[in-house]
Amino acid sequence: MKKKQNISTILLHIVLIIGACIMIMPFLWMVLTSLKTVSESTSMNPFIFFPETFQWENFQTVIRQNDFLRLYFNTFAMMFFRVLCAVLFSAMAAYAFARLSFPGRNFLFGLVLFQMMVPAQIFIVPQYLMVDKMGLRNSIFALVFPGLVSAFGTFLLRQFFMGLPKELEESARLDGCNIWQTFWKVMLPLTKSGLVALGIFTALFSFKDLMWPLIVNTNSDAATLSSALAKISSAYSVNYPQLMAAAVLAIWPMLLVYIIFQKQFIEGIATSGGKL
Amino acid sequence: MKNKVSKKTRNEWCWGWFMVAPTIVGLVVLNIIPIFQTLYLSFFKSGAFGKGNVFVGLENYKTMIQDEQVWYAVRNTLGYTCLVVPVTIVIALLMAVALNGKLKGKGIYRTIYFIPMVAAPAAVTMVWKWLYNSQYGLINHVLNSLGIEKMNWIDNPKVALISISIIGIWSTIGYSMVLLLAGLQEIPRDYYEASNIDGASKVRQFFSITVPLVSPTLFFVLVTSIITAMQVFDVIYMMIDVTSPAYNSTVSLVYLFYNNSFKYSNKGYGSAIVMLLLLIIMIITVIQTKLQKKWVNYM
Amino acid sequence: MKRKLVSVLLCAAMITTLVSGCGNKNISSDEGTKKAEESGGDVTISYACWDSNQAKLIQTVADEFEEENPNIKIDIQVNGWDDYWTGLEAAATGGSLPDTFWMHSNNIYYYGSNDQLLDLTNYIEKSDQVDLANYPEGLGEIYNIDGKQYAIPKDYDTIALWYNKTLFDEAGLAYPDDTWTWDTLKDAAKKLTKDDKSQYGFCAGLHNQEGYYNFVYQNGGEIITEDKKSGYDNEKTVQGIEEYFSFVKDGLSPEIYDDQARAEAMQNGLCAMGLFGSWNLSGFATTDFMKENFDCAVLPSANDGTRSTIFNGLGNAISATTEHPDEAWKWVEYLSSKEGQERQAELGTAISAYEGTADKFAEAYPMFNTQCYIDMVEYAQIRPYSNQTSVWEDKAYELLKGAYAGKEDTKVACEKTAAMMNEALDAE
Repeated sequence: MKKKQNISTILLHIVLIIGACIMIMPFLWMVLTSLKTVSESTSMNPFIFFPETFQWENFQTVIRQNDFLRLYFNTFAMMFFRVLCAVLFSAMAAYAFARLSFPGRNFLFGLVLFQMMVPAQIFIVPQYLMVDKMGLRNSIFALVFPGLVSAFGTFLLRQFFMGLPKELEESARLDGCNIWQTFWKVMLPLTKSGLVALGIFTALFSFKDLMWPLIVNTNSDAATLSSALAKISSAYSVNYPQLMAAAVLAIWPMLLVYIIFQKQFIEGIATSGGKL
Repeated sequence: MKNKVSKKTRNEWCWGWFMVAPTIVGLVVLNIIPIFQTLYLSFFKSGAFGKGNVFVGLENYKTMIQDEQVWYAVRNTLGYTCLVVPVTIVIALLMAVALNGKLKGKGIYRTIYFIPMVAAPAAVTMVWKWLYNSQYGLINHVLNSLGIEKMNWIDNPKVALISISIIGIWSTIGYSMVLLLAGLQEIPRDYYEASNIDGASKVRQFFSITVPLVSPTLFFVLVTSIITAMQVFDVIYMMIDVTSPAYNSTVSLVYLFYNNSFKYSNKGYGSAIVMLLLLIIMIITVIQTKLQKKWVNYM
Repeated sequence: MKRKLVSVLLCAAMITTLVSGCGNKNISSDEGTKKAEESGGDVTISYACWDSNQAKLIQTVADEFEEENPNIKIDIQVNGWDDYWTGLEAAATGGSLPDTFWMHSNNIYYYGSNDQLLDLTNYIEKSDQVDLANYPEGLGEIYNIDGKQYAIPKDYDTIALWYNKTLFDEAGLAYPDDTWTWDTLKDAAKKLTKDDKSQYGFCAGLHNQEGYYNFVYQNGGEIITEDKKSGYDNEKTVQGIEEYFSFVKDGLSPEIYDDQARAEAMQNGLCAMGLFGSWNLSGFATTDFMKENFDCAVLPSANDGTRSTIFNGLGNAISATTEHPDEAWKWVEYLSSKEGQERQAELGTAISAYEGTADKFAEAYPMFNTQCYIDMVEYAQIRPYSNQTSVWEDKAYELLKGAYAGKEDTKVACEKTAAMMNEALDAE
């Protein structure tokens, strides 16, 4: 019995490792390309996988040409405020949609779903006009603006709230908690992993958001990592190694955020489940 | 008594409205108004820079129905969705379950499977172009050594959509996996312990405990994955140019909308295309919401 | 309770940061301008463009301009081609276009005819530094709508034949020169093509400006007639396109549809020759591999000796809504003056449009036969354009690619293209 379990664990590892190789390929390729010369990067015959010598100057050039400190700051500020707004407002709305009954609930939730169905590209010009009217182009606020509320987050957390047992809040209400206290003290902590997932995705989506920062923040010192990256690659003949070096420099903060937060899954609700 | 209940109810109403207010106000200003502007614009032959729009009634819609490229785009968009969503969700669910247990190194796996989501689109495109390259690409290299004939993965109209879908699957597995992992955390451990005592097999546990209890999250993943897939644009835009022979067999509705609205400055027609897309997505989503009662298990 | 307090405090702190982030760390150019004005009459002029290689060089010109005009600051903003136009469109709709920016022949009509651009006619008349007679014929005209001049030529670009010297040496062939004709090109392409498809003689990608347009005009055909009708049904046009496509049909060129793939096919030695515009120079010059192995030559002539190349020029335009038209004009005037144009050529940004200044550009790239780009202007053809060029240009690709891949008769495809194009032109 024990042996059989060992074999299945090993098999699982093999499958996961093969999958991991496929998933990590582009990242590996990015790192390797960032250390190649231009001709190595496009060479196909012979097929060059490892650079002959590591071209660290690709990184030096990219760092010299871009104010990365400024880019990191702008990007983190944008991510931070978008995550904050998304988590806070979405959790509130999601709880109301999941557990409170009030007139217009279904209609309003329909609006939330409706927003998600529309391709984001149609919002760019109208939202630009709003920011422009406020005179806030080229600011951190402009970067945060489209992410002030999140239909995605509202829908996601609603699903999490709906998955929680009803008895919990009923007992909280019997203990004399009002609606807000029940939400804030009892229900919110229970959806921690949902909140973390939402935080990760909000951070990720704002990190990857390209067109908006490019168009609303035209000044180079108000750019984000991805918009600056897009500008590097906009030259007619692409210098792949430098582009990839910039991409590597841009990626690690996001990976770091993920690695830190995914731990929350393990320590999250799983243990408290037993106490119910 | 009656009076007391209604006071309590009113209290709940007020809290409800208060709690949804920030989100709803934000959505209306940021998104809903622009959507109706788009709908409005779809009845116009758009002038430049928002001025000089000429009302043409249903003209844009008539043109759209006769435009065979729009129907190619509908077919491609639906095809892409059907290829990507089921595969992604099945793999992601299995992966999430595997990585939710006491497996050694699960943190590393979780991180690695998430990496494709973090990679910049420009880098992703370049890597896949390199993998797919018909002359010396890695995939053809491997196929060749297995004795299978080389293929033109990107420019061959017959396989291009599949190639694009593979990229789609690869880059969205992480998304579904993380959400499902989060959903799995909500399942109380004692459910499994109880069924262990009953001697239920792992497979049975999966279908009788895991799937029903993770179903609210699964429903969310399904709905959002379909919507995201229906709005596919970036990868196709970067991989397939209008010059490519595979253009007609890969162009998506959002791609067509983008070209018409931004490249050809024909905003009215672009808006009509968005409305078509919106209609399709709405139909699919409404069907899903109706069907959820059959399989989604809310507490 | 404690947790609640902490979170409230945290929220308060964050909101303060956000607000102050907008206030104190304001990086808005408008704000900057206003503040500067209060303190001493300084004005910031924004200058938007889409080529990051050139932007780096123009920064030097801007620095020098700022030194001479201490009350004007130039703020250069770069975006890639697609985002540039999307952003410009949004800005124009909101009435907040950059003060000065690049204009292209594909878009001039859209912006010019809709009152987004400042009419420069009077400024030019009054100026002692700018005279449209100093620019190659046709370039200034691109930016003239009903007698009003909306932009001043900044540069021009032509197309040349690039070749891999190493591959030519291996094959023992003489490098391309001005004696080459279509036949010489084809012969060389045959000799440079290897049977195992590991090397092709020519890179005939599906591209108009850096591709079949050149062959069309060399053959005496045309893409658009003077009275704005399609030239695709012209027999000579069809012949030119057929000649270009024949490289693919004869197996002398791979089928290439993607813009970047064309440059890559040269860089990795897949193709020995290819057509590239002069705007590629600043990029090519930064790659050691290109510098060592490549050079360029004038385009081969048609077999009857007719020469042609497609040329086009960008313009500097001023926004109609700029708050500082005089300062903006000063900057554009400097960029268009003999001095400014010479400086840009020296730095190697692009082939300056001002007559006589272009030679300096050749000196900026001594590693290549850059002069050939300038020599070709003599017989160059303006890139075909109409009021909404990109609409029919894209559709033309869609209709021609079947013929390009050898699946359809070129003549039939051209006739379809002509019908489509005439319809599009009528709708303008």
